[in-house]
Amino acid sequence: MSVSATLRRWYERISLSLAARLLAIMLVILVADFVANSLMFERARTFVVNSEEVARAAEHLVVARRVLADAPRHSRPLVAHQLSTSRFHIDWRARRPAENDFAALPSLKDEIVQAQRELASADLQLVLVPLSRGGGMAGSALLPDGSELVFRSKRLVSWSLNWDLLLRFSLPSLLFFLVAWWLVRTSVAPLQRLVTAMRQVGTDDMELLPEAGQSEVRQLIRAFNRMNERIHQLLTSRTQTLLAVGHDLRTPLARLQLRVDGAPIDEATRGEMDEDISEMSELLASLQAFVESGQDSGPARAIDLAAMVRSQIDGAADAGLEVTYEGPDSLEIRAHPAGLRRAIANLLQNAHRYAGTAEVSLRPGDEWVELAVADRGPGIPEERLDDVRQPFTRLDDARARNTRGMGLGLAIVDRVIQAEGGRLDLANRPGGGLVATLLLPRTTTEA
Amino acid sequence: MVSPALHTHISQMDAPVYEQQFAVTRLMLVEDDGPLRTLITRNLREHGFEIAAVATAAELWLVLEKESFDLIILDIMLPGMNGLDVLRRLRRTLDTPVIFLSARGSEEDRIVGLELGADDFLPKPFNTRELVARIGAVLRRRSGEVLSEPRAAAGDIVFSGWTLARASRELRSPSGMLVDLTTAEFDLLNAFVSYPQRAIGREKLIELSRTRLGDSSDRSVDVLVSRLRRKLAGPDGSAPIKTVRGVGYMFTVPVTRQ
Repeated sequence: MSVSATLRRWYERISLSLAARLLAIMLVILVADFVANSLMFERARTFVVNSEEVARAAEHLVVARRVLADAPRHSRPLVAHQLSTSRFHIDWRARRPAENDFAALPSLKDEIVQAQRELASADLQLVLVPLSRGGGMAGSALLPDGSELVFRSKRLVSWSLNWDLLLRFSLPSLLFFLVAWWLVRTSVAPLQRLVTAMRQVGTDDMELLPEAGQSEVRQLIRAFNRMNERIHQLLTSRTQTLLAVGHDLRTPLARLQLRVDGAPIDEATRGEMDEDISEMSELLASLQAFVESGQDSGPARAIDLAAMVRSQIDGAADAGLEVTYEGPDSLEIRAHPAGLRRAIANLLQNAHRYAGTAEVSLRPGDEWVELAVADRGPGIPEERLDDVRQPFTRLDDARARNTRGMGLGLAIVDRVIQAEGGRLDLANRPGGGLVATLLLPRTTTEA
Repeated sequence: MVSPALHTHISQMDAPVYEQQFAVTRLMLVEDDGPLRTLITRNLREHGFEIAAVATAAELWLVLEKESFDLIILDIMLPGMNGLDVLRRLRRTLDTPVIFLSARGSEEDRIVGLELGADDFLPKPFNTRELVARIGAVLRRRSGEVLSEPRAAAGDIVFSGWTLARASRELRSPSGMLVDLTTAEFDLLNAFVSYPQRAIGREKLIELSRTRLGDSSDRSVDVLVSRLRRKLAGPDGSAPIKTVRGVGYMFTVPVTRQ
């Protein structure tokens, strides 16, 4: 359509501000509305003036009026009936009612009177019949003796009530609506890209957006990109700091350990010091694991998840966890083994720590593999189920205070599993206890 | 937070055993942190080792021109030349056993180190007993190899489609999938493939798989064998380890070395 093509050309040429653009869109719609309405009025008038139907109706009306006026009063209803045709219905009434529905349609009345001057004395009254009552036009004319001729024509005004014509008149509005929709959509598209990019903020892949769109949007994107860079730098430096802390503390800790080994102290004290050092060393290890979680380098490998789970279970069982396993002996998935191994170990360790027993089940589905570690420990308060995925979160109750660790266990699991394209679900079990479920994508076909 | 299977426990073994086996065990320590170098040197001397220590790779090359050692303890983070590069260069000319010390303790460092031909990997902090035990284990494993099959420890072993990559301590299935083994399971399988298609007694198996002291599981050989069988089971459920009544076990399929 030439109109929309013109609009598109304008759109491409002009780079307005968002506000100006929205104003322009409104203006376009107003103009469209105005044009459409004018067109409709124009059509209406033109139709009536030019129509042969008006002349024919006027002629019919004049003849009917004369015939009825000549007929004796008692036979006039019958004569009126005989004068009626399929498209022009005529009735006769002895008197015009004091009030009726007929309102003058001056222009149409003028046209009819113009066609048949004789009707000027008939006090013509016309009305459009609503579509709900059959449509068309109705009217009345007075006979010389004061009685009334009532007529109704469906043809005369069929244009205003025709579905086809209605559609033809609404088409421009529809078209302009589509154009407006397209304009608005194009205007907000950069904003939508921004929203998508914002969801990525804080993850490992930083994406800078091209500056596109209207001036406000461009400014927004530029500000967003700066913010994204700053956040990325903060995250990177946090990672570097944590790694450096972990690394730098290990050497003095190693010295401390060796000094304790050689110190002339009693065995009980030495044992306690060994415990302290090993706890510090575990904290550093978990810090390091958290920093490294989800950053596994290299491509994913084909691994036997069932064997991995069983190895971890056997290790945990040797360390004192009462654990059962239900699942296949072998199950191939593609993943990064080191992270996944740690995630499974962390879940088992939590079960060991809080419950002492665990039920592990591995269920292969068509697209997902489901690994569930369920225990009968105290569980996690419902409102904290999401918190515990956040790093450094420890449940502030009696059972958490005397436990070791920095509150990184589930945070590590969450990050590792997300990096593998999977999901960690946590839920309290009916009857008490926690069930942690790992959902991992099952993509084995590459091998 | 360390996975139980990877976590190494401290062995109760004592140094004098090795002093008897090796009249003089000469160690070389490469560690850039002065106080730590002094402490390790002192503690190992107390355990009867003869030990020399240097701070950098450059010094190491100088010393190695004149002297030889039974084992080198190498810090991964060194000024100038990183421990991994040192090992790479060392392995071109020397076959001396190497134990890495790492302040990073990351899985990746461990795997790269072992693949480059390090004999063991010890994250900081560690205690003297653990270091002594690791030294003993590496030396004993190496000396065993000298008798039977020189320098084969790092080679890959293939049996009925499976690959046992001994340097990286990985088992891969016929389809190429990584199959996790605990340390004890790996050592047991390694013992089996060293004596394929021969009946091996339980005692001998324990002795063979005790060369590495990490994760010295309390589990009996029978439990370990049953765990290993489950992991090696083919689609028909059969594993290549057979029970020989009154004797022990037998690894039933032939192995090839690569």
